[in-house]
Amino acid sequence: MSKETTTPPPGYDPQREQMLDFKVDGQLAQIVASDRKNFILTTIDEVFNWARLSSLWPVTFGLACCAIEMMAASATRYDIDRFGAGAFRATPRQADLMIVSGTVTAKMAKRLRLIYDQMPEPKWVVAMGSCAIGGGPYFKYGYHVVKGVDFMVPVDVYIPGCPPRPEVLLDGLMRLQDKIRGRKGKFRPPKWISEYAQKIPYRK
Amino acid sequence: MEQAAIYQLLVERLGDTAGLAWHEEGPQSFATVAAEQIQAVARFLREEPRLDFDLLMCLSGIDWDGYDENGKGKSVDILGYREDGIPETSDRVAEGDLGVAYHLYSYQHEHQFALQLRVRRGKPIVTTVSDIWPTAEWHEREAFDLLGIQFSGHPDLRRILLEDSWVGHPLRKNYQMPGQWQEVPLKGQPYSKNPFKPEQDSVADDSGDSGNSGEG
Repeated sequence: MSKETTTPPPGYDPQREQMLDFKVDGQLAQIVASDRKNFILTTIDEVFNWARLSSLWPVTFGLACCAIEMMAASATRYDIDRFGAGAFRATPRQADLMIVSGTVTAKMAKRLRLIYDQMPEPKWVVAMGSCAIGGGPYFKYGYHVVKGVDFMVPVDVYIPGCPPRPEVLLDGLMRLQDKIRGRKGKFRPPKWISEYAQKIPYRK
Repeated sequence: MEQAAIYQLLVERLGDTAGLAWHEEGPQSFATVAAEQIQAVARFLREEPRLDFDLLMCLSGIDWDGYDENGKGKSVDILGYREDGIPETSDRVAEGDLGVAYHLYSYQHEHQFALQLRVRRGKPIVTTVSDIWPTAEWHEREAFDLLGIQFSGHPDLRRILLEDSWVGHPLRKNYQMPGQWQEVPLKGQPYSKNPFKPEQDSVADDSGDSGNSGEG
């Protein structure tokens, strides 16, 4: 607020900008008033990122008690649909986001990897709760628990808690939206993902 | 019928051949029975009209590692993962028996009874009771899966919880934690060795956080 370097263009309407949820810093996007011409200047990255972060569709994937909190977050009191992430898809082929909500057992880890591979790019993973982050209470004696879901899939956001409250899940979702909003360049998976995937023998 | 009276009835009918003994210490009184005679004892408990145990509430496997035949001893330290995620190892040889506990209930007479038996660790074979109580079929599969107790005569003795390719029986007290199973890593590792740790050059540019970028 201290320095106002950019002067708003003629016909600048701040209320209109807030409705459109664009990041406007005087260079990337400008909304020109209707008395001149209705057009928007922006970048492809901005538009695509805005569209992607506004409709993060999670895959229906509940593993343990964290899934109960995830369901609570999608119910009316917390209402994850406010952030565009309420459409839990029953198939990974329609989903952008996988919320790993619970303990990842050895048997489930193979299925988890399969579901992740079936999701189209771009895709994101949220590790919800201490089990998904690092094994949690099953670290010492859990002969069947993967000690962190990031051994199976790349994780974007870690949400601590056992289980995390719905507010924390919503906060993690907003952090993921921040991450998507700031992303530049093409949405290709990094090279190491495909290289690692080739080494997994059960993906024949 | 009182549990002690049920035991007296068992002794009258089956005599000493069943290797029966009565234990009243502890919160739950129970009878011990020789492992070879479990089929005869179970059938008597199920079919005798005065007893009529029509429900097998639970069938549990027990590892008596560290205890002698009278139940005297102390529990041994089981193996887990170290703090850095590596499985612990030990040279200790497991001792003591394996066991099976049966908890029975009768809806008709509203009484209950507990049975227990022991088998040698080297040859843990028990006759199945799944032909008497069909619910024992899955319980015995669980005891086989997690403790390695073989139930002879069982119609379908496979692992019930773990996958068929699993090695070992995890609830044995000398079970060593696996490092991995079919390329699924089960031990912990430092984050620096994580295969999915983003490398600095390969990940897309995440630096432009929206909350800060507008402020220069």
